[in-house]
Amino acid sequence: MECVVLAAGEGKRMRPLTAKRPKVMLPLANRPMMEHLVLAARDAGIADFVFVVGYGEREIRKYFGNGSEWGIHISYAAQRHQYGTADAVRSARDLVTGPFLLMNGDMILKTGDIANLCNQQAPCMGISTTDHPGDYGVVLEREGFVTSLEEKSKQPKSNLINAGAYLFTQEIFDLIDQVHPSPRGELELTDALAGLIAEKMLKAYHLSYWLDVGHPWDMLDANTTLMGSLDAKNAGTVEEGVFIQGSVDIGKGSVIKSGTYIEGPCVIGKNCRIGPHAYIRGASSIGDDCHIGHCSEIKNSIIMNGTKIPHFNYIGDSVIGSGCNFGAGTKLANLRHDHQNVKVCGKDTRRKKFGAVIGDDVSFGINCSINVGSMIGSGAQFAPNSSIEGCIGDKATIR
Amino acid sequence: MCGIVGYVGRREAAPLIVEGLKKLEYRGYDSFGVATIGKSLELDKHKGRISENARSAIRLKGKIGIGHTRWATHGIPNDVNAHPHLDCSGKIAVVHNGIIENYAELKRQLKASGHTFSSDTDTEVVVHLIEEEYGTKKDLLLAVQTVVPKLEGSYALLVIADKEEQMIVARNASPLVIGIGDGEIFAASDMTPILEHTERAMFLEDGDVAAISRGEVTIFNKGTVVKRPLELIDWSLEDVKKGGFAHYMLKEIYEQPQAFYNTIRAVNPETVSEFVRHPTSITVVACGSSYHAGLIFKYLLEESCRVPVRLEFASEFKYYPPPIEGLVIGITQSGETADTLTALKQAKTHNCKTLAITNILGSSVSRLADATIFMRAGPEISVAATKSFIAQLAVLMQIVNNISGTKCNDMLLHAHQAIEEILLIDLADAVTVCTSAKDIFYVGRGPFYAVALEGALKMKEISYIHAEGYAAGELKHGPFALLSSETPVIALCTPGDTYGVMISNIKEMKARGAPVIAIGGEGDSELLDIVDIFIPIPKTTPFVQVLTSLVVLQLLAYHTAVALGRDVDKPRNLAKSVTVE
Repeated sequence: MECVVLAAGEGKRMRPLTAKRPKVMLPLANRPMMEHLVLAARDAGIADFVFVVGYGEREIRKYFGNGSEWGIHISYAAQRHQYGTADAVRSARDLVTGPFLLMNGDMILKTGDIANLCNQQAPCMGISTTDHPGDYGVVLEREGFVTSLEEKSKQPKSNLINAGAYLFTQEIFDLIDQVHPSPRGELELTDALAGLIAEKMLKAYHLSYWLDVGHPWDMLDANTTLMGSLDAKNAGTVEEGVFIQGSVDIGKGSVIKSGTYIEGPCVIGKNCRIGPHAYIRGASSIGDDCHIGHCSEIKNSIIMNGTKIPHFNYIGDSVIGSGCNFGAGTKLANLRHDHQNVKVCGKDTRRKKFGAVIGDDVSFGINCSINVGSMIGSGAQFAPNSSIEGCIGDKATIR
Repeated sequence: MCGIVGYVGRREAAPLIVEGLKKLEYRGYDSFGVATIGKSLELDKHKGRISENARSAIRLKGKIGIGHTRWATHGIPNDVNAHPHLDCSGKIAVVHNGIIENYAELKRQLKASGHTFSSDTDTEVVVHLIEEEYGTKKDLLLAVQTVVPKLEGSYALLVIADKEEQMIVARNASPLVIGIGDGEIFAASDMTPILEHTERAMFLEDGDVAAISRGEVTIFNKGTVVKRPLELIDWSLEDVKKGGFAHYMLKEIYEQPQAFYNTIRAVNPETVSEFVRHPTSITVVACGSSYHAGLIFKYLLEESCRVPVRLEFASEFKYYPPPIEGLVIGITQSGETADTLTALKQAKTHNCKTLAITNILGSSVSRLADATIFMRAGPEISVAATKSFIAQLAVLMQIVNNISGTKCNDMLLHAHQAIEEILLIDLADAVTVCTSAKDIFYVGRGPFYAVALEGALKMKEISYIHAEGYAAGELKHGPFALLSSETPVIALCTPGDTYGVMISNIKEMKARGAPVIAIGGEGDSELLDIVDIFIPIPKTTPFVQVLTSLVVLQLLAYHTAVALGRDVDKPRNLAKSVTVE
């Protein structure tokens, strides 16, 4: 079976984290989101992949190459401008020859579900349940067939949604050719399916597990889930006097210095310097080349490559981009005093505890304090003692 | 300048080529065509813009194809002269951007050996030459490699042939980029048609010939395989069109050496009609910058040929009563300026011979006038005329040479180098003075009076600062009353006949407190001492100094407008070509 993975979009809702990488390359448990999906598909027996790439395609091509490192074969199709999902599928035309699996690159599935979906009668749509169906395509199902599909409905008729995984035959390309641009000027894959649904010819397959990352704060849950199956590994150096509890994966070249206390699950990338006297807990993942120094505490957070949190810092329930630098004493709040859900730029995170979303290459002076629910654009710079809250744009300079 | 696109890949070629050509329209838009290799060679080409008329081209079948959007240089824009061009058998198709300089001779040879030509283009010789070689060698790559050394001039060529699953491309002194997609490869004049599909590109070098198949590019230079680096392109569509320059105007200023040289080379005695050579008197009608070019022409021609030249604004010409006699020359970049067209029509009703000077082949003025000389500036997009002005001067200079019977001399053939050098000049101090001014005066004498007028026009067009050009001697007859420390004066004071009197004029203006920015000959310490800002230009012949000082004033206006945050390429209230009276 061949598999087409749609990975051309930026994922605008994940801004500012997408400044340097497309959404599918955002790290969960220190691997790009898409790698988890591709590995699951590989383990389901799929060896031939077509990645439809566009925004940030360089990152994807560089990371995955021809796929030989994963024992798979990857070819690419470029969709350099986003004219909709149907257009994305169309760009893979002639690169797949028979029936094929089509998946959005920004979700996590389990191997068993992928294998089962491949064995269905095409055309077939993977469906799942969610507690906020209004954000997705809401599906009605009868006798194993999709009978209705409604995009981003304000009053969803069910909690069943289109998961973004399909089994198609070559026929789909002909259906796409008949699609007219939607009101927002894009060619929508769901419009190509309308005829099949009306004729009760699109099968529905219930996925047992489905994880979608819609917003930056959703990365924390996904990270925690994926680290649930983490094996402890140590390819680095752990000094005497380090306390490690639970499963912790330490990358090659990393040094954990004395007095550091780590509660797993926790992933630490390559060539990091941790400690002395650092405290890391609660399903945190730390990328390559990071520095978590003396008296810094990291809790349930994602820290991307090259970020330095070197002295007297606290980071909790936050997503931090790459190449950031935290001045000594800079700390971040993650809980509202009224214990309401944290909001980021007016959006409810549905989390009681959430710190901040911080883009790439942000620099903080010493003793900055970052309020709960802040969103900080890439390349922003802050003077010492800044009190930061709300939404700060890219490249902002705050004095 | 034309635009070309080629495709070899997994998708239907024609729709991709048509989309690509639309993006290249800024390089030329008078006709277009597409050829593909489907079951056989399919061709569709028309006069007109591809963006308005591509329906039939899109339907061509096949996964290999080439396309062209034309800016006519040899042969008027019509269906037959549109590219691609085919050989006698209709099995080989070629598109070409550039100029084959020795085409006339090659065409004679090919005709003698039995080839039939259908167009007036220089390009058609290429496809017949390839036909000759392909017939004996049966190898398209080898055929193109054999033909290329016979061609003189500039070319980016794309060649396809029936039953061939490859496209052969060649480049010399015209741009050609190869875009490496996924299971598909593009070739084009620049990245604009390619960006949509891939960011990976190779830039061919002069003398390169490449064989392009669906998954592979093999590049040869002088018969040996060479590698060109694969580059990742970050530019946006607009960036590419501007060739890395911030504005079209700056790009066009930088294209002036090429525009001047190409025009000097293209206008030779063969292209100047007999009646232009022995006029009793000449009347030049023009508007805007073209009028200033006419004024420079008046100085140059009257001095060297003793033929009286009358110069009129085309818009005022109709109010002058007859008699009109002698040769009437209309100068218009677009060939569509309504006032100039009316003036030429009026001249014709008085039985005058008319000559048009324009940048656009097949434009209205070229159909109206008895003879037309084309400048070779290429499309000019910025509203403010720069390279078309320089190219007009090249044409006019060649007319002066023709009338005076002198040959095109070394000075003209090397003038483009002087323009190239002056492009690097630093004008920061002068820009600072200009950005804070409300009024600027430009003064010069002789042909430099015309330069002053043109410099002032550029300044007002794009920076919106009130600027006036004066003949330096006229300043005393009125405008002197306006001079103060708030009104910078830009003085053209180059070595030559006018130098001494210009120096005294500058001293008078300094005495009224006006800050003076002077453009003068390198190492002129006398001038340096009396002015506030001295801009040195190389000491050469007066005509070359006219060119270089013009470029200085263009750059001054440009940088001032940029410093003031103006919309340089599209100044308020102005249109590129004025087609109403």
